[in-house]
Amino acid sequence: MTVSAEPNISEPAASRGRLPRWVRPALGLAVPLAAAVGWEAAVRTGLGDGRLVPPPSVILATLAELTRSGDLGRHAIATVMRVASGFALGVVAGTLLGAVTAYWRVARHLIDPTLQALRAIPSIAWVPLFILWFGIFEASKVILIAVGVFFPVYLGVLGAILSVDRKIVEVGRVFRLSGPAMVRRILLPAALPTYVVSLRAGLGLGWMFVVAAEIMGASEGLGYLLVDGQQLGKPAQIVAAIIAFAVLGKLSDSVLAMAAAPLLRWEDAFGARR
Amino acid sequence: MLVLDHVAKTYANGVRALDGVSLEVAPGEIVAVVGGSGCGKSTMLRLICGLDQPSRGRILLDGTPISGPHAKIGIVFQEPRLLPWLTVAGNVGFGLSDRPGAQRRHRVAAALDRVGLSEKAQAWPRELSGGQAQRVALARALIMRPEVLLLDEPFSALDAFTRIDLQDHLLDLWTDLKPTLVVVTHDVDESIVLADRVMIMCPHPGRIFAEIDAGLPRPRDRQSAAFDFAKRRVLAALDRSLDRVVTTDDGETKSAAGAALWW
Repeated sequence: MTVSAEPNISEPAASRGRLPRWVRPALGLAVPLAAAVGWEAAVRTGLGDGRLVPPPSVILATLAELTRSGDLGRHAIATVMRVASGFALGVVAGTLLGAVTAYWRVARHLIDPTLQALRAIPSIAWVPLFILWFGIFEASKVILIAVGVFFPVYLGVLGAILSVDRKIVEVGRVFRLSGPAMVRRILLPAALPTYVVSLRAGLGLGWMFVVAAEIMGASEGLGYLLVDGQQLGKPAQIVAAIIAFAVLGKLSDSVLAMAAAPLLRWEDAFGARR
Repeated sequence: MLVLDHVAKTYANGVRALDGVSLEVAPGEIVAVVGGSGCGKSTMLRLICGLDQPSRGRILLDGTPISGPHAKIGIVFQEPRLLPWLTVAGNVGFGLSDRPGAQRRHRVAAALDRVGLSEKAQAWPRELSGGQAQRVALARALIMRPEVLLLDEPFSALDAFTRIDLQDHLLDLWTDLKPTLVVVTHDVDESIVLADRVMIMCPHPGRIFAEIDAGLPRPRDRQSAAFDFAKRRVLAALDRSLDRVVTTDDGETKSAAGAALWW
């Protein structure tokens, strides 16, 4: 028994259930890559019709063409700018109102019911009104995105602050923190892990609403590429725009998560084990 | 001088946690408060540090009524209650945020050195043992140079060795500035080790049942006969305090409940 057990002890950690560093991303790519290669082969061999569902080679060619002509960059920048300004507006408003309603009971009783009622309205329903109020150009789009971002952030901040441990809050009281200092030095840091999650949820909704806003009417933006591809019967362009959305969405989420990571190093939670 | 003048506390649900508690604690005195559960020990500390308001009566520090948390009154809770997002140094310096950076760093370094945790200054609270975390909590309270330091069963969650170590450590820290200490404890040994006076409280409603002058010279020898005698006096008083039939007036009557039931 001891003899046969000995080699196991000296074995490197990698061969005992822990995967080498490169294996995890490779595993994650396996399924989409297999699907792409499979479809490409099916179209090439005539098993599948590539007209409505273009094979990867056509999509890549379209992406390359859009990039070369500068169209992709122009449309992507327009979309990113809308998401960024809408996200910034929504986050600022959601954080401020969330912190205020969480801290002052009167404010909570005063405005939370209204906000909850507004939250029940599907945000897309605002579009006609926003177009009437703010015009058909940037303002109405940015505001629609801001509304989409606002609610998850507001709810996240409010819920997180309300659930901060009373014992920690008492530490702040014993040190005689003023209201704003209590929010800044105790409540917000304690709420930070939940806050980051709600920011990421808000960003996801921001990307959702930018598509809605651009489909409704825009002369540039990735959403415009979608509509344009549909009207001119160019499925490869639609898929190219979808891929651009996926890449940008994932990228922005990763940037947010990475920016927050140093602020959450203190966490002593199940999820904090890397 | 810390004065409690006929302090009573009735909670919103009608529970009379404290009734008619009067107590005077001289500057630099160490008072231990012992008693069974529900006798209002922790309520009393929460009233003194201003986290709760008394229903009746007054609490005065040097003649000034206490109506909320006070700069000269610090507290160490049963749990360390460190802020997990601040380093050890950040936690110790938490109350000094209005001081200039250099002064704050200097005082934090000195306080950490005093509790023997200098090398942990940049550690996160999650990396500390229970005893270390409670030492950080002590440093965080003492760095404010309080006139009165309240301790709510500060060492009850620690193992016996760490507890004895921290009791000695607390007395050592106390000699620096000689603040008034009010220590709530379940541990009769702890009350005798630390206190000049031991207040025994009894429940329903919470009130002071007896007061015992430990009257032992410092440093105290846990093995001495005098220590043992003081301990037995406290235990006997606790025993009587829990007798539901016998009231404060005829404390001589023996109770059937027995010392084993006091907690």
